[in-house]
Amino acid sequence: MRRDAFYSVHPAAAMLFFVIVTVTTALILHPVVTGCSLIAACAYAVYLKGGKALKFCLCFVLPLIAIVAVLNPVFNHAGATALFYFRNGNAVTLEAVLYGVNSACMFAALTLWFYCLNCVMSSDKYVYLFGKTIPVLSLVFSMVLRFVPRFVSRIREVAAAQRSLEPRLKMSPVRAVKHGLSVIGVTVTWALEGAVVQADSMKSRGYGLKGRTSFSRYKFEKRDGALLTLMLVCFAVYAAAAALKRIDFRYYPTIRAAGCDAPALAGYAAFALLCLIPLLLNILEDAKWRALRSKI
Amino acid sequence: MYSPNESGAERRRISRGGLIAGICALVLIAGAIALGVAVWSNRKFYIVSMLVIVFAMIPFAVSFEKRRPKPRELVVLAAMIALGVAARAAFYMLPQFKPMTAIVIITGAAFGCGSGFIAGAMTAFVSNFIFGQGPWTPWQMAALGLIGFLAGLLFNRRDGRLPGLLPLCVFGALSTFFIYGFIADTSVIFTSYEKPTWELALTAYGAGVVFNLIHAAATVVFLLALARPLLKKLNRIQIKYGILE
Repeated sequence: MRRDAFYSVHPAAAMLFFVIVTVTTALILHPVVTGCSLIAACAYAVYLKGGKALKFCLCFVLPLIAIVAVLNPVFNHAGATALFYFRNGNAVTLEAVLYGVNSACMFAALTLWFYCLNCVMSSDKYVYLFGKTIPVLSLVFSMVLRFVPRFVSRIREVAAAQRSLEPRLKMSPVRAVKHGLSVIGVTVTWALEGAVVQADSMKSRGYGLKGRTSFSRYKFEKRDGALLTLMLVCFAVYAAAAALKRIDFRYYPTIRAAGCDAPALAGYAAFALLCLIPLLLNILEDAKWRALRSKI
Repeated sequence: MYSPNESGAERRRISRGGLIAGICALVLIAGAIALGVAVWSNRKFYIVSMLVIVFAMIPFAVSFEKRRPKPRELVVLAAMIALGVAARAAFYMLPQFKPMTAIVIITGAAFGCGSGFIAGAMTAFVSNFIFGQGPWTPWQMAALGLIGFLAGLLFNRRDGRLPGLLPLCVFGALSTFFIYGFIADTSVIFTSYEKPTWELALTAYGAGVVFNLIHAAATVVFLLALARPLLKKLNRIQIKYGILE
């Protein structure tokens, strides 16, 4: 993964960004809005993961778009402009085809935003954000994250020890399965006993007492405040334009878009800027990095 | 099986906290549906179904938080969830052959309904950090959580006897096929298509049958292999360390 400037943003700001972008994208079916969102999500994903994201787009997102885009006109016969008719008399309409393409692109944009969310929001950020409101569940969550890799490494340890006890070469399939199960059994016992020890240790250190604080690496800096303000202003402009019905798009029965006047353009621009925030931040940071690098 | 940490006084408190949260969740769900009917025209199925699923999980989370489980129960529960996640990762190569559901059922049977739900939801949530989060996450959480809850309701005995293997397997097969399969297929219908129609729903459910059969078979296989030893171990831990007190 590349050095990502948005990764270091305060978790609350980052989370709010993803919530706003995904909810706004999911709420409205408008070619410009969907297009902005899809392009920005795609660009950010490729910036984050490079070729891997490109492969994800081509192998997963493109077929997804194709399937949804084809399925909509097959099942949905609303719309006034018939392109051709099936044998049973149902029409494939231009509106349904375009609608399918748009909703497929929207679905793809959401998928890509979730892909970026996976890269940016690491599990400790969730614990930091929700540790106050749901302390018990956050604790279980963070313990599970620690236990999974420990489980895997312990299974390896136990398997190695068991292997030295048994002649492994002549193992029938049934014997091999039994062997595997006994390895898992040993590991589970070990994990459960360890869990009790850990719980006692937690208790003796005062878990659940009042007035305890938890460690976090995150500080809400000026930069986060500025970013948050920018996000909220962009969203407010977009929401105002949407509330004024300047960002409307109707597919059925005939396609009709709201006029392209100043408020509408402002709304589009604000939404595009909002979607591009992580990428712009990265470009800015990269430029700064290059400018400050010593030229010796 | 012994159920940890649920003495009489605590049980009553759970039910009151859970009841309030449940009523709030019902109001929120009704509000979401009303909003969907009244306001949105676009993508309303996506948003409303997602909200309903998320709200439906709130009472379980709240009653678990309110119960303030003791550290011993928490850590043992976390270990079982981790086992489920690790097991899903171990059988990653075989599509749909997931051991998670079996382990969630065992956890539910050992710990009771409330913890069963948390185990299911948490297993789905955490394992999706490995396999990718997406709009399907809340649905999987709700489905697995519900299975864990039902397992706790049906198999969690106070007298310390282990549940029979046959009823466990029957429950595993039926719940995986019908509950998990139904919820997972419904999530596909609601999140992928703009205006779900009945014919589309039938196509989606039909396409899901094979996957759900494989998943149900996996659950039965893993229950047969793991239920006895795991339940015995959990029982032993609970008796040895008196987690139930």
